[in-house]
Amino acid sequence: MNLTIAIPKGRLGSQAIKMFKAAGIGEVIDENSRKLIFNDENLNISFLLLKNSDVITYVESGIADIGISGKDMVMEEDADIYELYKMNIGKCKMAIAGIKDSDIFKDDSIIKVTTKFPRLAKKYFKSKGQIIKLNGSIELAPILGLSDVILDIVETGNTLKENGLEVFEDMYQISAVVISNKVSYKFKRKEIKEIIDLLRWEDNNGKDN
Amino acid sequence: MDFLNITDEINYYEKMYTLKNEIADYLFNQGYSIIEPSIFEDYDEFTNINTRIDKKKTVKLLDNNSGILILTPDITTGIVNKFLPRWEVGQKLKIFYYGKTYKHERNGITENREMGVEIIGEKKANTDNYILNTAKEIISRYSQNYLLEVGNSKFLKGIMEACSFKREEHENILDILYTKNKQELKEYISGFPITDAMITLSRILDLEGSFGEIKKQLEGLYLNDLMRQSVEELVQVDNYMSAITDNMIYDLSMVSELGYYDGIILRGYIEGSNKEIVKGGRYDSFTRQFGSDIPAIGFTLELDELLKTLYKEGRR
Repeated sequence: MNLTIAIPKGRLGSQAIKMFKAAGIGEVIDENSRKLIFNDENLNISFLLLKNSDVITYVESGIADIGISGKDMVMEEDADIYELYKMNIGKCKMAIAGIKDSDIFKDDSIIKVTTKFPRLAKKYFKSKGQIIKLNGSIELAPILGLSDVILDIVETGNTLKENGLEVFEDMYQISAVVISNKVSYKFKRKEIKEIIDLLRWEDNNGKDN
Repeated sequence: MDFLNITDEINYYEKMYTLKNEIADYLFNQGYSIIEPSIFEDYDEFTNINTRIDKKKTVKLLDNNSGILILTPDITTGIVNKFLPRWEVGQKLKIFYYGKTYKHERNGITENREMGVEIIGEKKANTDNYILNTAKEIISRYSQNYLLEVGNSKFLKGIMEACSFKREEHENILDILYTKNKQELKEYISGFPITDAMITLSRILDLEGSFGEIKKQLEGLYLNDLMRQSVEELVQVDNYMSAITDNMIYDLSMVSELGYYDGIILRGYIEGSNKEIVKGGRYDSFTRQFGSDIPAIGFTLELDELLKTLYKEGRR
């Protein structure tokens, strides 16, 4: 096939690798090894294991033909890529949350927003928000007074609850998407579609879902 | 491209010079006349015409009356603004140019070297074919593994008219088509009453590939006059091009960030490149703002991307 596929490390990637293996490709990937590149020489497919936030960069630059990334990252990066298939894994939502029962979000003052997604936050709040970028433990910020609200992805809501926060507003539903480099798609459309068909079948019929 | 070493950089300029001249010589011998484009455009004028262009990416400057200018992101717009106000009835132009376009990108302002070709004032059945052939002749000179991709903006226009969307809905759908997101398209459309046109729209992202594949997909789908006309034009293109190259693909959902295309849209890629090498199309309606409807078609060649790709493969 001569295809390079970028897969994020971590939980989302593990789920994706399981799907690939169930579909009969990616048998060569060994997640316990420290290797970051795996070649399936029979099918002529290379798999790159990358940090979640770097998948888009590799796909946009054409090093990888396609990749799997969270929709949250895709929206934040606003990259020039195709979004070919929304998968059934990595589901969560993007939401705005703050300290339970506080009324800060309801009045008209400019609010401080901490987030890992500064571009998305800026687009969403426009001039109403002052955006502060953090890299982790976002939930801590309102408690310690760094911000009024957070904009983050929420899966079960348990982390929020345990830190005394609640969701004020749901923004978007998030899931994993198969993204493609635009020029790769022109030259390798049939191969890319084949991979997507396999993933779609696993999504609908695979036993893990 | 940036170089640490002066000799390498001078080498690169030399290669660029050779490449530019090869193409210019070819065009000159084909009877295209050379012109020199301007690098300044009026900000408001430009963004009014090209509504889909990302305004944040334009490089602005002020003139001495505090009017906002931009460094041109698209030379064709400038050529139309330059010549059409002085257009004489029956005039024909067959021109080419070399110029630079400017954009804010993540790493700062980027300069792009371009060579462009325009035929203005002539519309015969074979003008589209003639321009496509020029593009093919140039791109095939530099790579055997090239693809020419043709769309037709009238197809999308026809379907959007039939669906009578509001302006905002229209923009949202174009954004979805731009990323080829089928599921999001279906979800978005599901909020509207189901009509025949809506069903065609929901399938538009399947209308790509070889012309034969598209014809099969089109069977039984609703088409209005404008859409039928656009397919007719593509049949003509395919009849002509399939005789001279096997490297054609088609895409009826093609969306351009330049809003002025009106008919055939053209793109060209070579394997190993990461951007379009050829970009262009027909823009008759663009000239209408100057009072008369003057047929016009053209394309640009991205020289930096072309040379970079040849460099990477060690062919230059």
